[in-house]
Amino acid sequence: MTIQISSQNEFNSYVSTHLFFLFSNLTEIFPSNVISFRELFEVAATPKSQQKPDAMDSITLVELVTMKDKEIKETLKLAAEQAEIQKTIDELRTEVDKRDAEIKHLQKNLKEAETILSTAIYQAKQKLTAINQANNRKISSEELIKFAHRISASNAVASPPTWMPGDPRRPYPTDFEMRLGFLGKVGDLPLNTPVLQSQGSYGEPMSSNRNTAQTEGTPTSSSAGWHSELGLGASGGNSQILADFKGPKTESEDVGFMSSDSSSSSLSSDE
Amino acid sequence: MASIRQSAVPGSQESEEQQRIRFQTELEFVQCLANPNYLNFLAQRGYFKDPTFVNYLKYLQYWKEPKYAKYLKYPQCLFFLELLQYEHFRKELVNSQCAKFIDDQQLLHWQHYQRKRLTLLQEEMASQRALQQPPKEKPG
Repeated sequence: MTIQISSQNEFNSYVSTHLFFLFSNLTEIFPSNVISFRELFEVAATPKSQQKPDAMDSITLVELVTMKDKEIKETLKLAAEQAEIQKTIDELRTEVDKRDAEIKHLQKNLKEAETILSTAIYQAKQKLTAINQANNRKISSEELIKFAHRISASNAVASPPTWMPGDPRRPYPTDFEMRLGFLGKVGDLPLNTPVLQSQGSYGEPMSSNRNTAQTEGTPTSSSAGWHSELGLGASGGNSQILADFKGPKTESEDVGFMSSDSSSSSLSSDE
Repeated sequence: MASIRQSAVPGSQESEEQQRIRFQTELEFVQCLANPNYLNFLAQRGYFKDPTFVNYLKYLQYWKEPKYAKYLKYPQCLFFLELLQYEHFRKELVNSQCAKFIDDQQLLHWQHYQRKRLTLLQEEMASQRALQQPPKEKPG
């Protein structure tokens, strides 16, 4: 199409220059025709005696006129041919415009298709990364359901439907539950110093307390779940923290240590 | 603290019993971190200024892995554990107002599901009532 268009342009320029030339020819011819016609009439009108000495012979004038007439006729014929050519030019131009419109339409369609494909590819890539991610971290559905049950059944992640301000239940282990737990029990050991000294040997000094910790642990069935599924044992590792944990129990009121009652009463204003 | 460090060293002369004990204590302790009042307690006693304790908190992040996380009953503790890695948060926890704010927000979030369900049920009831009313008006 581009080659044809350039040739069309050349043709157009050729035709336009030729038309201009033709037109200029005609404009040149007409004044000379008029002059020759005027001279002829002057010569014919005046008698021989009054003629100017340098006036042309009537014969040469007539010849001149006929020559000019012939030229005019030829030029007119050329003009007619040019008109024909101009018609074909116009037809070709409309054809070119039609083709241009079609090309634009196709271009628009192509652009739309490209955008649709690019979005599809992008989404497909995202899906692939999600699939890879899922494949890398596989979890059995049974484990997932077990975990979901564990965290929901105890109202740890969603409040119970009948919860009201003043209810002691919380989404975290409360101080009461903490004291009932394994860490809380370890803090009840009467001898702290031998525990600290015997860091390597966790066995003997604690064996007497092991049974008591176990028996105390089992009644608390509601909070037992969060300690672990394993059996209870004694530990000397965390006794340092626990000594401090248990120590300032009496000072807890001053510090505001896990005062769940005060927090619940203030929360009532939110509801 | 030194005793914790001893017990926290992985794989070095730990019997199965010791490992079990360590698992249980760390499980309980990490879940205690879900309690903002307990966090305030720890902050006010200066535990968060101890670099050993801070390292211990960093070490406790292994509970985020699925094979350990499945033992957690209070998964909100993991969120707090992550926040506790930042010093700014640890400093802010000394204020009891901060702890109280966190506690309130935590409770409101806890009730979010029930509230959403309640509003949904109320909307459903209202729409049903609206549907029932025009047929009642027609015969009248």
